[in-house]
Amino acid sequence: MHILLGLALGAIYILLAAGLTIVYGLLDVVNFAHGVFYMLGAYAVFLVISLTGSFWIGLASAAIITGLIGALAEVFLLRPLYEKHQLYPLLLTFGFSVAVPDLMKVIFGLIGKTVDYPEALSGFILLGTIPFPKYRLFIIVLTAVVMTSLWLFLKKSDLGMVMRAATLNSRMVEALGIDVARIWTVGFSIGVGLAALGGAVAAPMVSASPDMGVEITVESFVVVVLGGLGSLAGAVTGGLIIGQVVSFVSLFAGQYSKVAIFIVMFIVLLVRPRGLFGEAGRH
Amino acid sequence: MIRRLVLIALICILIPCAAMAEGAKFGIVLPLSGPYAAMAQDMKNGAMLATDQVNQAGGVLGGQAELIVKDSQLKADIALRRVKEMVEEEHLTVIGGNLSGAISLVINEYACKNNLLYMSYCYNSLPVGKEFCGKGFTSAVIPYQNPDALATYAFKNLGKTWMSLSADYRGFHDMMASWMYNSDQLGGEFKGNIYHPLGTRDFSTYIPRILAESPDILVLNNYGADQIAAIKQFSQLGLTKKMKIVISKTHLHIAKECGKAYDANIYGGATYYWNMKAAGEENKKFVEAFTAKFGAPPSGDAEAAYVGTKAVWQAIAKNGAADNVDALIDALTSMTVQTPKGSEQFRACDHARQQSILVLRGRGDQSKDWDVFEVVQEVPWEETLQSCENNKNNLPYGNVPIPTK
Repeated sequence: MHILLGLALGAIYILLAAGLTIVYGLLDVVNFAHGVFYMLGAYAVFLVISLTGSFWIGLASAAIITGLIGALAEVFLLRPLYEKHQLYPLLLTFGFSVAVPDLMKVIFGLIGKTVDYPEALSGFILLGTIPFPKYRLFIIVLTAVVMTSLWLFLKKSDLGMVMRAATLNSRMVEALGIDVARIWTVGFSIGVGLAALGGAVAAPMVSASPDMGVEITVESFVVVVLGGLGSLAGAVTGGLIIGQVVSFVSLFAGQYSKVAIFIVMFIVLLVRPRGLFGEAGRH
Repeated sequence: MIRRLVLIALICILIPCAAMAEGAKFGIVLPLSGPYAAMAQDMKNGAMLATDQVNQAGGVLGGQAELIVKDSQLKADIALRRVKEMVEEEHLTVIGGNLSGAISLVINEYACKNNLLYMSYCYNSLPVGKEFCGKGFTSAVIPYQNPDALATYAFKNLGKTWMSLSADYRGFHDMMASWMYNSDQLGGEFKGNIYHPLGTRDFSTYIPRILAESPDILVLNNYGADQIAAIKQFSQLGLTKKMKIVISKTHLHIAKECGKAYDANIYGGATYYWNMKAAGEENKKFVEAFTAKFGAPPSGDAEAAYVGTKAVWQAIAKNGAADNVDALIDALTSMTVQTPKGSEQFRACDHARQQSILVLRGRGDQSKDWDVFEVVQEVPWEETLQSCENNKNNLPYGNVPIPTK
């Protein structure tokens, strides 16, 4: 039971960490606003459900709507800063992480918005003899499908191949006549879309609130650093490890579950300073 | 004419103009940003309404009642810095606010050392043991009071076996001591406690342990986003069908945000509910004024801030000045305040507000807009507030061992 609950917990970390690592790998931008897109995903699912009454439409459109917002942010706000010092995009995303939640407080108020669980995913399902919550199982399956699709996209599609090439050497790709700026936009959209999907999935469990992305940004960074910056396999492995660590520490000493993830990161970095898949993932 | 002007100028120099009836100032710190921002905003609204009403009725000391509000970000060092700024720059002698028992103790210590009147709005232990220095008041209650009322109800009506899930934080430890003591007195059977860190989002990992113990009652000692996440997840995972959940301190906004998950299997402790039928005309006026101004009815936090602020202005008016702290304290402890719950007093011996505790029950999908609770019981203050002597000696809860981490 704890292994499965840890998997469900890790699944949300995986979605966030994968998004973060794609953005970093492709754009070299440490996106401090990643939690903002997670929060926007939760509000998007709330809004779409309010309009359509369908959780499923809400879930799908949350990632798409937020991905589009991310594309606009990349084109109009981030892109002018690429040629400047690395600190500029970092400061910009940090500014987002402070300003956007405040803006959401003005628009939606300080009290969070309730997102109900879909009827079909209420209650338990028997896995052998273990009753397991359907919604948690859904999160695990959804993340597995999304990550497999992402892997296939990056490995098998032409656009994915170009994105991987741009990650390694964007000037060479540009020299081949490919519009690298467009690739950056697509990559950024996918990255923030994954964060939004994580927020949309989490919304029924915690409700949508302006500050919900603050702590999870830090935890996602832990997952990414643990797995290795820029490595998709690292994001998945890191998410799985952190999910299990939180799950099992909660069993024996719940109050230390948050500290435990930093201790694990500390130990891993002592042994492998570039994270578990750092070398393989980049360059 | 010139002589008259010179005379007026001389009077102004000899008698400070500030002392010539120009109103009064009251400074509060609240965590307007951070995890308790929504609740803090509600407190701010309550304090503002009380101040507006004083000004509409002619002000205080012949001038305006001025409320100064600063953001503490739910951090003790920032709260203390903001208070120091108000005291050193604005020369305030009356301060207040706060939504954290632990931060409240820090501000109280500063108030004690600097001879300030401190009107705290939150649950805290200012009236208990060594924390009481004679300068601090609380317009909420002492943390042990809610569990005292809830435990009496729960062990009589909901079952005997219980376990708890508690945030690892000072105020919740105090609540835990009260639960342990009352369990011992009322025949409860304790099956264990789980501590969780503040800011926990996923409570599913605690469920197997809770199900393994299968208690009649699961006590939640947490607040804010933690409480919302716990209720929503426990409801979705079917825990509320297997046991009753009793929350030591709950909030109007929490029930609203949880929606139908906050159902009739969930009980909560509070000091106030806007639709409490026992309250009279004063409450009706308060709820109408608050709702008209802020678009939603007041929570318990808003009511505590409203009463605390109203009491401060009333004491200043009664005393005729804001700068003699000892005289203000005498005024506060010798007057009756018309609160939304009726006529109440701050007890002279420990400055605790003498107010009742409510046992609330969720209404789930029977909720209508902001009417999210049913008041199951109103427990008089005499039944939950310990005697002056007991509070002075931190009895009986101070000696109760609470579960180790």
